[in-house]
Amino acid sequence: MKKFIGTTALYILLILLMLELAVRAFHLYTVDPPRFIDDHGVEKRVPHHNGYAVTGNRKQNFSEFNINKSGFNSHREFNPSATKYEIAIVGDSYIEGFHQDFQNSIGKKIEEKIAGIEVYQYGYAGYDFANQMHLVYAYQDTFNLIDEIILYLNYENDLERDSYTPNTERIQMLSSTIFKIRDQIKLLSYGSKIGVLEPFKKLATGKNPFKTDITAYQSNEIQEETEAEKLERDKRYIANFQNLIKLYGFDKSKTTLLLDARKTSNIFLEFCDQNQIKYIDFSESFKKSKKPTNLIYDMHWNDHGRELIAEIIANYIRQKKPH
Amino acid sequence: MLFNSLEFLLFLPTVFILYWFVFNKNIKHQNILIIISSYIFYGWWDWRFLFLIILSTLVDFIIGQQIFKHRDSPKKSKYWLSFSVLFNLALLGFFKYYNFFIDSYIDLLASIGYDVKSPWILSVLLPVGISFYTFQTMSYSFDVYYKKISPTKDLISFATFVAFFPQLVAGPIERASNLLSQITTERKFNYGRAVSGVKLILWGFFKKLVIADSIAPIVDDIFNNYTEHTASTLILGVCLFSFQVYGDFSGYSDIAIGTAKLFGIELMSNFKFPNFSRNVAEYWQRWHVSLSTWFRHYLYIPMGGSKVSKLKSVRNICVIFLVSGFWHGANWTFIFWGGLHALFYIPVFLMGRNRIYADNVIGQNTLLPSLKELLMVFWTFVLVTFSRIFFRSPSLTDSFNYIDRIYSNFSYSAYTHPMGYRMTDFYILLALFTLYEYLIRKDERNPFKFKSKGVRFFVYSAMILGMLLFYDDNVNRSFIYFQF
Repeated sequence: MKKFIGTTALYILLILLMLELAVRAFHLYTVDPPRFIDDHGVEKRVPHHNGYAVTGNRKQNFSEFNINKSGFNSHREFNPSATKYEIAIVGDSYIEGFHQDFQNSIGKKIEEKIAGIEVYQYGYAGYDFANQMHLVYAYQDTFNLIDEIILYLNYENDLERDSYTPNTERIQMLSSTIFKIRDQIKLLSYGSKIGVLEPFKKLATGKNPFKTDITAYQSNEIQEETEAEKLERDKRYIANFQNLIKLYGFDKSKTTLLLDARKTSNIFLEFCDQNQIKYIDFSESFKKSKKPTNLIYDMHWNDHGRELIAEIIANYIRQKKPH
Repeated sequence: MLFNSLEFLLFLPTVFILYWFVFNKNIKHQNILIIISSYIFYGWWDWRFLFLIILSTLVDFIIGQQIFKHRDSPKKSKYWLSFSVLFNLALLGFFKYYNFFIDSYIDLLASIGYDVKSPWILSVLLPVGISFYTFQTMSYSFDVYYKKISPTKDLISFATFVAFFPQLVAGPIERASNLLSQITTERKFNYGRAVSGVKLILWGFFKKLVIADSIAPIVDDIFNNYTEHTASTLILGVCLFSFQVYGDFSGYSDIAIGTAKLFGIELMSNFKFPNFSRNVAEYWQRWHVSLSTWFRHYLYIPMGGSKVSKLKSVRNICVIFLVSGFWHGANWTFIFWGGLHALFYIPVFLMGRNRIYADNVIGQNTLLPSLKELLMVFWTFVLVTFSRIFFRSPSLTDSFNYIDRIYSNFSYSAYTHPMGYRMTDFYILLALFTLYEYLIRKDERNPFKFKSKGVRFFVYSAMILGMLLFYDDNVNRSFIYFQF
């Protein structure tokens, strides 16, 4: 009996070691560059980190990232000046672009289309509109030098807040020993990403680990909102939007929203029109596309989608940029 | 409780330690521990249905005694046997088939012009594994009746036999002559057996998590939306379902057999690489062996088996397959599936080729199979897979529409995984799986029969890595055969 338990334990240990080696060798794990909140209260990545972001359990998506001196994934450093023409694109993971090599980002694509400009992508997974507005406000000195600001608005979930407060809990959690261990043991990091460790996570957070929630495949029914609920939501979102403008300012002359009109309420679009808030709508371009615009495994934009976004922004800038 | 759940991961070592370290001095205590564990295992799903197992246990325990008591009076012992059969069939009939009979009756009346609104349809939950444990308890009554065994006077042993958790909900359906005798005998820990059990558990998990669960979303997508797919995709769907159902059920059986070994109990083999069968008869000697054996012993042979005229033998074959189909579920699709297998089996039987592969496997004395064997395996796979359209479809209409669409829309189009995974990964996986099964085809009880420790270790690691590579958090991880 002792031999059996001993041998089993030894085999488990050796197999775990072997798996750790395999996960490292095939780079199955994703690297999540560390995050922090800077002196301005802006949540971002710790500068000068690079590596590979991996999506899915068999490297469904594999791309290189580069966190620059400013703490954002980009092919360039952000050094605006009065003599250059710069565009800032601010947004969430779609703008951060961990799903595409940083050398092939939206910013790089725009720069290739318009000579003599610099594109700064202030993207960060988890940003909502409050984060974005606060960022522009917090880095006023920098943004005063930037010629155009494009804020990516995912209307469906970006306007839930009417003011910004830094998510210190998340930063603390990610800096905790348990997360540091997870990041060091790549097998854990991989297991956590694909959901194998879900029951253990539930156990650690005091939830019922035995309750299984089949979330996606067969039971992903979307609860349709009623018209009254939609109206209520639009009112709330517009009020939040107005409050964010009141708190952090909004330079209408050089700030433009980037949005998908298919996913944005007409009431909100009308509000923008009435208040001279400019927006770039990429829905038509995506609709007309004969090729898919999103990754299949993941709903973020694929290379073609990013190409379309870059083209739309470039066209918009061409109209605005002084020759 | 599912084998592939966190609760089982905690449950199994706990019971194992209690079994061998705390209750190892007394067989009765070990059996009581198994009963309690088994009831927890089953009650985890729905404790209310425990009473059915307990009732079935008590009734068949008493009936076994009565049959034995009246062993010199064929009439009385037959009466008690009939009571056991009727009781168990009544349980099955009510919980599994009641609504099916009512529906069929209403449909029949509707077909002759009577529109009946049914007040008799009941919302009855199908107790997990009812078909398995009722058949197991019936086998006990049959074995006592046929004087294969003497009834046990120990209710605890009998309750352990009925509820033994590794095989309670999806088999293998054990005969009392095999399982009960082990339960009443003192068990000593055996290192070799325990190691062999762990290996089978690993192999079973691989088949379940990597083969069956990873394919499940594809099969669901194709069968649920068959009207939107081309013939090539529909063929792909049913082929993949063949692998899915095999991985799912044989995976369960291997985990069950492996777990039983950890407790010093040997269960019968349930799957012997059916995908390498050279004809349908061989397939049934390799697929769900415990059920085939049950029907052969308790239905086919009592009806005369093959020792009667050819015509009656053919009738017996038809009965066996139709009943077997019906056993699977209260739906005409299963009966039709059984009927199809009878049709496939009868020519093999009439040609006298139904037992020729009973004692050997493909490539018995060679490394590679002959071309003839390969063609035979391919043809058997085609027949069996074709029949699975009925097994998988929700209704006969859907089955025929599925087939019709293959013929009427015969074209090719590349299939895209519903969740965006690369399909090539699955094709490579299934090719490697088939190749590996071919390598180990001679011994289903030892899936890692490699002399070198290094090779074995590499294979274990590769299997677990496979589980991580193909793990999908969004798949319903229940076992297909639980519904039966």
